[in-house]
Amino acid sequence: MPPRIPGPSTVSSALSRCTVPSASSRCQPQQWPATQSKASFSTTPARPRFTKIRRVFRNWINGPGAVFRNHRPGGTNYLQPPNDVIRNVDRPFPLNPHFKSQPVLDDRAREFIWSKIIREGETVKAVSAELGVDIRRVAAIVRLKEVEKDWIAEGKKLAKPYARAVLGMLPTHTFREDRRNEPFEPINELHVHPYTTKQIFWPTSESRHFTRADAAKAFHPKLLSADERVPHPELIQMEKELLQGRPLWDASVRFKESAMESERKAADKQLAKAALEEKFTTRVHSDRFEFRFKQINSENVGPKGRARHAVGWRYGAPYYDRSKGEIKIPTSVP
Amino acid sequence: MKPRRYHGLKRPRLRQTWNKYNLFNIWRSRDPKLGKGDMETFFQQKWKAKGMLRDYHGEHVVERKWVRMFSRRLLSVAEMDPKYMAAFDGSELAAGRGSGKEERPDWGAKIVPKRVQTPYMQMTFAPMERRLDIAVFRAMFASSARQARQFCVHGAVKVNGKVMPYPAYRLNPGDMFQVDPERVLYATGMPKPDPNKQKKKKSSGQNAEGESEEATEEGAEAEAEAAAEGEAAETKEAEAPEQDPETTDAPEPVKQDMKPTRKQLLAIVEQAKAVLNEQSDLGVRQKQQVRKFIKEVRPLVSRTGRADASQTEIAEELSNLVADLRLSGSSDDAAPATTEQSRDTFDDLSKDEFKLLSKRIAEYVREEEENPWDPTKPYKTPWRPRPYMAPFAFIPKYLEVNHNICAAVYLRHPVARVGSAEVPTPFPESVSQLAFNWYLRRR
Repeated sequence: MPPRIPGPSTVSSALSRCTVPSASSRCQPQQWPATQSKASFSTTPARPRFTKIRRVFRNWINGPGAVFRNHRPGGTNYLQPPNDVIRNVDRPFPLNPHFKSQPVLDDRAREFIWSKIIREGETVKAVSAELGVDIRRVAAIVRLKEVEKDWIAEGKKLAKPYARAVLGMLPTHTFREDRRNEPFEPINELHVHPYTTKQIFWPTSESRHFTRADAAKAFHPKLLSADERVPHPELIQMEKELLQGRPLWDASVRFKESAMESERKAADKQLAKAALEEKFTTRVHSDRFEFRFKQINSENVGPKGRARHAVGWRYGAPYYDRSKGEIKIPTSVP
Repeated sequence: MKPRRYHGLKRPRLRQTWNKYNLFNIWRSRDPKLGKGDMETFFQQKWKAKGMLRDYHGEHVVERKWVRMFSRRLLSVAEMDPKYMAAFDGSELAAGRGSGKEERPDWGAKIVPKRVQTPYMQMTFAPMERRLDIAVFRAMFASSARQARQFCVHGAVKVNGKVMPYPAYRLNPGDMFQVDPERVLYATGMPKPDPNKQKKKKSSGQNAEGESEEATEEGAEAEAEAAAEGEAAETKEAEAPEQDPETTDAPEPVKQDMKPTRKQLLAIVEQAKAVLNEQSDLGVRQKQQVRKFIKEVRPLVSRTGRADASQTEIAEELSNLVADLRLSGSSDDAAPATTEQSRDTFDDLSKDEFKLLSKRIAEYVREEEENPWDPTKPYKTPWRPRPYMAPFAFIPKYLEVNHNICAAVYLRHPVARVGSAEVPTPFPESVSQLAFNWYLRRR
């Protein structure tokens, strides 16, 4: 920018401002005039109080944006995308149509699930299939409910007003004991395994009956078929029995039995693992500590002698996480 | 360090906060149309897209940390209908190639329905959602990702029952994290008015936006507090006559325990002071009255320390003082009137009406108990959600949250399905795709 050449009017105004006795003794030509009316002789225009965008913001936040200030109960309150006629109820981000705010289970539904599992002793899989809630979610709900009951028993204060306010802002889903319930979410979802994302050329005869199990074998010899990898293989078995003409009540009883059986098997497996661990451990109690000695085979060190589980697998390689300034963030909390 | 213009209006950046400026920025953001014209090279497009996304997704995470977290493997699930799986074994998809079984496309169709695709590219920042601080923010326990990070660092977050001070801890499926409810209430509740700010506002004139609403709310609270004070005085009056017969004997008053009275008086003074500090809508005369009240209570407090003090006298004087104190004339006048009316009308009420009334009263009392007025809290009490919270309220499916205990379980990693992705991001897929391509290089 070239140096600003003062014209006669600006010079005179600056001079006059310097000579005015009532003003501050120092001359301050950089100072903006407060308003146009006070210094009508000034050539520099008054700076607007707000920039344009701040004015737009204020107009929006006091006008159309005012509805977001306080939540009105009875539904969600998300931004309305431009050029959209239907009221937006499930998209928090107007530009991203792929992210939807899906309903959450309300307090009543969670209590219902908890009582089904703990009071009535139903299996997690059966409850999951009946109500259409993911197996992991059912387990999590029961776990959290148990903590909540503990808090109530201890007399700890729950964050009730907060919970009520948040659930009032979210879309919710509920279950009722006396009527047929809508499923909450898809329960039989299959993880897309990386082996199955490849395109492979697999020549086979046209007459061959090529099933899902064959497809799994084609992807990888150890890959199980989709029927075994889904979370609810018992549900598929039940549908098969229904197709074979078994009555519904019978099939559902058999489904519950098989669900119970599979859960029992999983529990047995876990117990057996713990027992095996215990078998190779010797515990020695002192007055302060419990020493645990485990039997290991020191010869079992892998082909290069550096297997991850072997003793001395990092022999000669320092641990940098003990040096200054390095923090060691745990990868799991048991 | 937080950038100076975190919620700028001039160069808007979308952030993980519940801020009103952020809301405005999200509202006015339009599709950036990267790569639509031929003004930018591919590199420039990727650079811009990556910058925009990183401003939102964990901008407090150093870039090289994120680069190490990034994974090119995007998780997705396919829905398997058990009915379909029972009826077919999959061979129907392999059959019919060249046998005339396939459906031929309708070339003459006017409108071709668009195939719904799986938005894999929206999963670019899925590994970031594993971070503890961001999960805490997603579970709505903090009003911003940075605040969630602070909660972790300050030791208010537990993972599986153990304090986890590292916000960079990456949650594993099945991990339960819980946040101290007091912190959650502070983060999500209406903030206390800042006394320093309020003075400034008054001197500069009342030009605040949307202050009228708050003023009325605070007015309501003032009345509630006045009522509470009245109650306190009443309870004191109720207590005093009980002990009255005992104090008639001469030697006993010396041994009388004045500590509770002293405590109660001090509590009343504290309450009055809080009213003075918090309520902006009190008139000058009302404030003067409150100050006078505090001044006159002080000698009472000192009198409780003397040997010859009697509770009844103090209670009487206190009740006189409270009677003199008329904060909001209309409400105080109205309260006794309504009680008298209710006394009259209690006899006229039918049984059903009486039941309903008692039920309402019980509800009101329970609400008071759950959400009391408490000036010691760092947030405004009774607790109410902070402004501009609802448009940001959503809970992604990979979390199961119990708000009563401020705890949540990280069920699984976020996944993509046909037509939807679970990673909450305010950007369209085209931008995420460019960012994904940026992080793919040299990998």
